[in-house]
Amino acid sequence: MAINPAIDVAAEGLADTPHGGWRAAVADFCRRRPLGAIGAAVVVLMLAVAVSAELVAPYDPVAVDFGAMLTRPGVQHWLGTDAFGRDVLSRLLYGARTALLVGFGSALMGATGGAIIGVGSAYFGGKIDLYLQRLMDIFLSFPLIILALALVAILGNSIPNVIMAITIPMIPRSALVIRSSALAIREMPYVDAARAAGFGHARIIMRHMLPNVMAPYLIMLTAFLGQAILLESSLSFLGLGVQEPTAAWGLMLRGAAVDFAESAPWMAIFPGLAISLAVFAFNLFGDSLRDALDPKLRTL
Amino acid sequence: MWKYLLKRFALMFPTLLGVAVVTFILIRVIPGDVVELRLAGDRGSVSDEMLNAERIKFGLDQPVWRQFVTWIAGAARLDFGTSMWTGSPIWDEIRLRFALSFQVALMSTIVAVLLAIPLGVIAALRQDTWVDYTVRIFSIAGLATPSFWLGIVFILALLILFKWLPPMVYTPIWVNPWQNLAQLIWPALAVGYRYSAVATRMTRSAMLEVLREDYIRTARAKGLVEKLILSRHALKNAMLPVLTVIAIEFAFLIGGLVVTEQVFNLNGVGLLFVQAVAHRDYTLIQALVMLVAGIFILMNFLMDIMYAWLDPRIRYR
Repeated sequence: MAINPAIDVAAEGLADTPHGGWRAAVADFCRRRPLGAIGAAVVVLMLAVAVSAELVAPYDPVAVDFGAMLTRPGVQHWLGTDAFGRDVLSRLLYGARTALLVGFGSALMGATGGAIIGVGSAYFGGKIDLYLQRLMDIFLSFPLIILALALVAILGNSIPNVIMAITIPMIPRSALVIRSSALAIREMPYVDAARAAGFGHARIIMRHMLPNVMAPYLIMLTAFLGQAILLESSLSFLGLGVQEPTAAWGLMLRGAAVDFAESAPWMAIFPGLAISLAVFAFNLFGDSLRDALDPKLRTL
Repeated sequence: MWKYLLKRFALMFPTLLGVAVVTFILIRVIPGDVVELRLAGDRGSVSDEMLNAERIKFGLDQPVWRQFVTWIAGAARLDFGTSMWTGSPIWDEIRLRFALSFQVALMSTIVAVLLAIPLGVIAALRQDTWVDYTVRIFSIAGLATPSFWLGIVFILALLILFKWLPPMVYTPIWVNPWQNLAQLIWPALAVGYRYSAVATRMTRSAMLEVLREDYIRTARAKGLVEKLILSRHALKNAMLPVLTVIAIEFAFLIGGLVVTEQVFNLNGVGLLFVQAVAHRDYTLIQALVMLVAGIFILMNFLMDIMYAWLDPRIRYR
């Protein structure tokens, strides 16, 4: 497996100690970068909530209760109810599931797709590199949201399709960054050595190039996580992402939340706070990770 | 230098052409077409002959490559045809909306610059102190807060605190500047905050890099006043990447305000794009994408010129 040594490389970079091991690396990260550790803790907490939404949520997120429409936050409903009497807290908790699913799905695929294209482009160089770069330039000329909107219109708006629509605009952005790291690696003696030893392109790329772009890869990945969640909420806010009655944060801000904003502000406030907190946590963690792995690299 | 710029200039066109091709294909893959949507609308019954007659009128019966050739021949003369949905010329559809989006983008840029440059510089000068941490948290929060939600919060706050709502109907600035600003300042603030976060982070990291350069040490060693070191040596050199980020963000804002425009009921380019996609208005989508991508590509070119102008190492390459 090519992946394991790669992660070890990253972990060593984190801890700055060559033989620290995983636990020591994590402890060191927490000690040196408390903000990053807080971000990571919030992310873990959200993951736990998203996975166990059935257990944590006090109500069924899609259960309509016309007797309890627009209830103020209180003992019965901690964060109030929406225009259909659905419990806002429960919808937020289930919404975390949608957000994280789309976030992790598209960030993982976007960063990975970009890594493959970026490394391939740098490794083969010449014409392939030129054409791939031009192609990436073309996709980079579209604002993220415009491309995602067009893709959702083509693919439809089930969760897997929304993930795809967010992934595709991310690929050229990660390819750009990872290519520039890979260009430097291509010139390393060990790549020459591998070539001299007669290894095939696939093996050199998988075993020698990819593991060494792990630092920018992980940085792009964490940067994308927050962006993907924001993009997902934007799409569903426009009514073009995940559809009702699925619980999604952007969707909760749509329609009634704005119409009843004055009389029932909790409907507009809490989902926005959830989005902000989630993205904030990912960015906090991502920033510290970047500082630890590669302070020279700039994301956003 | 001229050779370099000429090459850069020439490179804009293949990219624009690529954008045109990609858009042309993408929008034709979207299920349903404009004729069907306009005539059949809500499941009204329309004969196939009628649909086909309309398609022939728009040239939609032609093979895609021929449609493309016809379209690009017009686009080369900046003639983007008429909207397939409303039938009015594309330029008439876009003009006022572009003015609106452009103004919001410009105002957001002003907000962002006014926030970002002082904050970024201070954070860099006081690196790893509470000032730095506060600025960083403020800017990470800016990246995390969706502008459209911030917009909702603004409206809500104005409504609850002042019992006042910003005007909901767009007045061009040349008609009534006061009315215009009262409406557009809120989206500009909401978008400007996020935008400033991007620029603050860039200012901070560029300043940190520059402050470690030898020429700063030299300037300090020769006893130059700190203020002059900052303004004349540090800031000047740190501004290049910051300007790039600002320019790129600005270019994206013109088309990328989709969601904020929805919140503030602004009939801008972004909202027009959403409507155009919903109507499958091929000519309008195509023109809007070319406009937005064209501005982005042009901005990139202008940045190249600026870099070449400011940095002799690029100029003589």
